[in-house]
Amino acid sequence: MSEIKMKVREFLKNNYPYSAGIADIKDTDSLMDRGILDSTAVLEILEFLEETFQIRIEDDEVIPDNLDSLERIESFLISKGVGT
Amino acid sequence: MNDVDPDDLESLMAIDAKAEIDRILSFIRDVTEGLRRTSVVVGLSGGIDSAVTASLCVEALGRDRVVGVVLPERDSSPESERLASEHAERLGIEVVKRDITPILESIGTYRMRDAVVKKIMGDVPEGSVMSLVQPKGLLETGSLGIYRIKLTTPGGEVREKRLNREGLRGIISSTNTKQRTRMMMLYLEAEKRGSLVGGTTNRTETLLGFFVKYGDGGVDIEPLSHLYKTQVYEIARYLEVPKAIIERAPSPDTFPDTVTDEDFYFRMDYPTLDRILLAWELGLSPERTGAFMGRDPKQIERAFEDARKKYEFTKHLREMPYSIPHSLKDEFRVPGPGK
Repeated sequence: MSEIKMKVREFLKNNYPYSAGIADIKDTDSLMDRGILDSTAVLEILEFLEETFQIRIEDDEVIPDNLDSLERIESFLISKGVGT
Repeated sequence: MNDVDPDDLESLMAIDAKAEIDRILSFIRDVTEGLRRTSVVVGLSGGIDSAVTASLCVEALGRDRVVGVVLPERDSSPESERLASEHAERLGIEVVKRDITPILESIGTYRMRDAVVKKIMGDVPEGSVMSLVQPKGLLETGSLGIYRIKLTTPGGEVREKRLNREGLRGIISSTNTKQRTRMMMLYLEAEKRGSLVGGTTNRTETLLGFFVKYGDGGVDIEPLSHLYKTQVYEIARYLEVPKAIIERAPSPDTFPDTVTDEDFYFRMDYPTLDRILLAWELGLSPERTGAFMGRDPKQIERAFEDARKKYEFTKHLREMPYSIPHSLKDEFRVPGPGK
């Protein structure tokens, strides 16, 4: 498992324990379908990603295509130069 | 309804205003009588929903049995107070007016909010006004809702900065004390008179959780909660609610700077939102809804998803507190998706 996915998975497990099966979340599972991405959680996840990976995420990048699953988050972060 | 094409959202959205008003008047009379009360207290905000509610209560019960309560505070628009008072005067009802600023000051509403603004924005020039906004483009790009503080300085400079989780919670929790203080004042006036408190929340707001639990949602009777905002406008026109109220952009009116409901919460205009909500409630597909509304089905899909998300996240606002049933025969009711 990549370091990005590992860190994000850990973050999700610690912060959204109420989401059923979060401990075994699959790379492609939708965070929206899991009821995670509300207006507070989006801010929380952005804050986590920006601080952990030392990046700046612009408002127009805050779309499901970039944030709705572990796989999408990883691709997005790689496109921002994380881990390269 | 059977002879209406289920895809014809316009027909389904249209109401017979006169018949609908008659239905609501009966409802108000039945509930009032059923609860052995004779009068209703309505908080007047200067907006369309409270104006319509007050007008309907006057039609149903008579002007001597309706009290309008106007509760301005430091941040509410002076126009709100003026329009509310004028509407009450036009209806010929008793008006109680009380500035709730000192109560909010004692709670710490402004202090707590301003502390968050200062922490996020840094330098806040004296006399600056703030509001919370979300980005546009839900339909076009599917961008997720993220709150930003919008600060306008006395010199007219506009600064925006994204909130963090703690900041959002800090501002929302302190701001919600405004609606909850108003609820307290409405019950004060209602209980003095043995009256009910009339609510002003419409269906659009109810479905998407755009109200404060035990705030503007803390009432005894909701005459508008079955009507989309678009339909409330139809009722308002029929009741000849003043044009200045009808044409005013709907706003929470809880921040020092003006922000519309659209920019603060819904991220699209009411006519579009209501048609999307109606289609969503009817279970229409994004393709059929998109064809009717002249929009890309992808946009409709995004809007459905946003509606579903808001509906789910605000579910607890619409429910009574979860509790252990009184009867052993009842099933224990737990919150959760689809329950």
